[in-house]
Amino acid sequence: MQTPSIITMQSLSKFYEMGDQTVRALDSINLDFRKNDYTAIMGPSGSGKSTLMNILGCLDTPTSGIYELNGQDVATMDDDELARIRNKEIGFVFQTFNLLPRLNCLRNVELPLIYAGVAPEEREERASKALINVGLGDRIKHKPAELSGGQIQRVAIARALINNPSIILADEPTGNLDTTTSHDIMNIFGKLSEAGNTIILITHEEDIAHYTRRMIRLRDGKIESDVRR
Amino acid sequence: MKLTNRQFRYETGESLKMALFQIRANKIRSFLTALGVIIGIVAITMMGTAINGIDRGFDKSLAMLGYDVIYVQKSSWSTMGQWWRYRNRPDIKTAYAEQINRIITENPRSELAIAVPQSSTYQASAKYRDRNLEQVFALGTNHNYLQTAPGELSSGRFFTAGEAASDEMVCVVGDDIASSLFPNEPVLGKSVQLKNRKFRVIGIFRKQGKFLGLFSFDNQIIVPLGAFERVYGKNMFSSIRVKMKEQTHVIEAKEELLGLMRRIRRIVPGKEEDFSINEQRAFKSQLDPIKNGIALAGIFITGMSLFVGAIGIMNITFVSVKERTREIGLRKALGARQQTILMQFLIESVMICLIGGVIGLGITFFITFSIGQLFPSLPIHFSFDLVFASLAVSVITGVVSGLAPAISASKLDPADSLRYE
Ligand SMILES: Nc1ncnc2c1ncn2[C@@H]1O[C@H](COP(=O)(O)OP(=O)(O)O)[C@@H](O)[C@H]1O
Ligand SMILES: [Mg+2]
Repeated sequence: MQTPSIITMQSLSKFYEMGDQTVRALDSINLDFRKNDYTAIMGPSGSGKSTLMNILGCLDTPTSGIYELNGQDVATMDDDELARIRNKEIGFVFQTFNLLPRLNCLRNVELPLIYAGVAPEEREERASKALINVGLGDRIKHKPAELSGGQIQRVAIARALINNPSIILADEPTGNLDTTTSHDIMNIFGKLSEAGNTIILITHEEDIAHYTRRMIRLRDGKIESDVRR
Repeated sequence: MKLTNRQFRYETGESLKMALFQIRANKIRSFLTALGVIIGIVAITMMGTAINGIDRGFDKSLAMLGYDVIYVQKSSWSTMGQWWRYRNRPDIKTAYAEQINRIITENPRSELAIAVPQSSTYQASAKYRDRNLEQVFALGTNHNYLQTAPGELSSGRFFTAGEAASDEMVCVVGDDIASSLFPNEPVLGKSVQLKNRKFRVIGIFRKQGKFLGLFSFDNQIIVPLGAFERVYGKNMFSSIRVKMKEQTHVIEAKEELLGLMRRIRRIVPGKEEDFSINEQRAFKSQLDPIKNGIALAGIFITGMSLFVGAIGIMNITFVSVKERTREIGLRKALGARQQTILMQFLIESVMICLIGGVIGLGITFFITFSIGQLFPSLPIHFSFDLVFASLAVSVITGVVSGLAPAISASKLDPADSLRYE
């Protein structure tokens, strides 16, 4: 028996009108993500990786096609429902500007809990636990400016996990890191996957992609290959 | 719903903290932005303080006249300065007081309690040995005078019905007279000379202060009416003071007194009366143009500076939205709703305005306090209504100026704002 799909995409397209030209950022894509998938999305610059990630993360809506998350059609949702999905079902890790510079680590990790309406004491407890889990128990009160690039990504991972999301989306999470730190971060993702999380990450580095169990290559908004290992 | 309620509370708390962070991080910018609001609030509170002061000063002075007294006089207070209109009217006779009293005691439903006659001059001179006071206010009346005028005695007593009836040569003097004519000696029992007559001092009024800052009741000498007439003759300025039973029934009381006086003067119906019934309100309305002028100027300055301030805040909030586009995108990715972002920026602009308002209040408080210290006699009053009003104005300014940028922030597309450099 197969594990059920968390995400189903059917002939999903995203077009951008640029003057009289139409940019086909995503062109009739069919995709399916199952629970505990650990996927890398690869492709040259401009191939549509970020566009796919934005749609997956409900930050953007497709021009046409179907996107179902946990069996729900995202196209029918209003703004507040989408915000709720982003808050509860999705954990984001971006390449840069992950953290609000004025807030310390704890406050940054707390943000999704504030939007979820969790009480202050519980917020603090859960956020510090999440930070301890990514090895930053001693940096809880530090501001982002006092952290290294790798530490910032770890804070972002802690925050992505805070609401126990259905999927974790990471857009080039190691794009700004040196090799050693990149591998540290990938080890964290590996552990999260072992713990049962569903992870989709974007990268253009082959060796980063090799940490995952599934590789999807995009070219010109189309799926070039989709390989499971 | 319970969850949204809690969400709202926590999000608002977070927004408040962020607004403080933001303002602290951009202190000079925030201060310059708030300048318009500061000036506006100073203008509105100074204006309010001035108007309050005028009102209070006036009320204090009017209290000296007695709130529950109306006057039968030759001319009207509300058209003061137009004496020529009343020139041909007959004088008010002190005997009317008796006639009025007779009528109102027969009528148990009368609104009027008692009428007291008075004749007076502002030009009296009072002498004691080699000391001489000019421009003294001398007043002749009867023993019921104190029922129609506030004024406690600091020593001695007022004259009795008997003394009034027999035109006894006694007097009750104001505090200034007592201290000027008798600087270092006991006053009671001494004689004050008005023209060529001597009056024995039997009482001294407690100090009352100046009426409207002009005329002082501490400068008066009150004597029995007959004695007054013996000195100054019967043709002095006379009027009737009439005390009301109910302070609030001014209109009814005036109406009744008008009817009484028409009967006494035998004025046929339809003919205009040849006397006036005056009350304090007439005085007060004389100040309205001044107060309106101050209010108009204050509102104009306030409006202008709040308008400029609001535009400045709107502008700076738009800049702030632009600068923080990525932050907005990130917050939306983490689950912030449109309403959350809207509130965040509104709270920020309201907070800038509130801080401006508080600074403005502080400045006004300091100014009024200083003026109060320098000129203690000025009736300056800084009221809590003003504090409330200016804080409300600040909040409204913040909402009005922050609304457009906050809405634009809330409507930002999350994917676009995350891509924004
Ligand atoms: N908001 C947008 N407006 C217009 N074109 C866009 C927009 N976002 C992306 N594109 C275009 O869509 C294509 C795919 O972009 P993107 O998904 O960012 O690629 P990648 O992340 O793989 O580099 C590119 O040609 C890009 O120029
Ligand atoms: Mg990209």
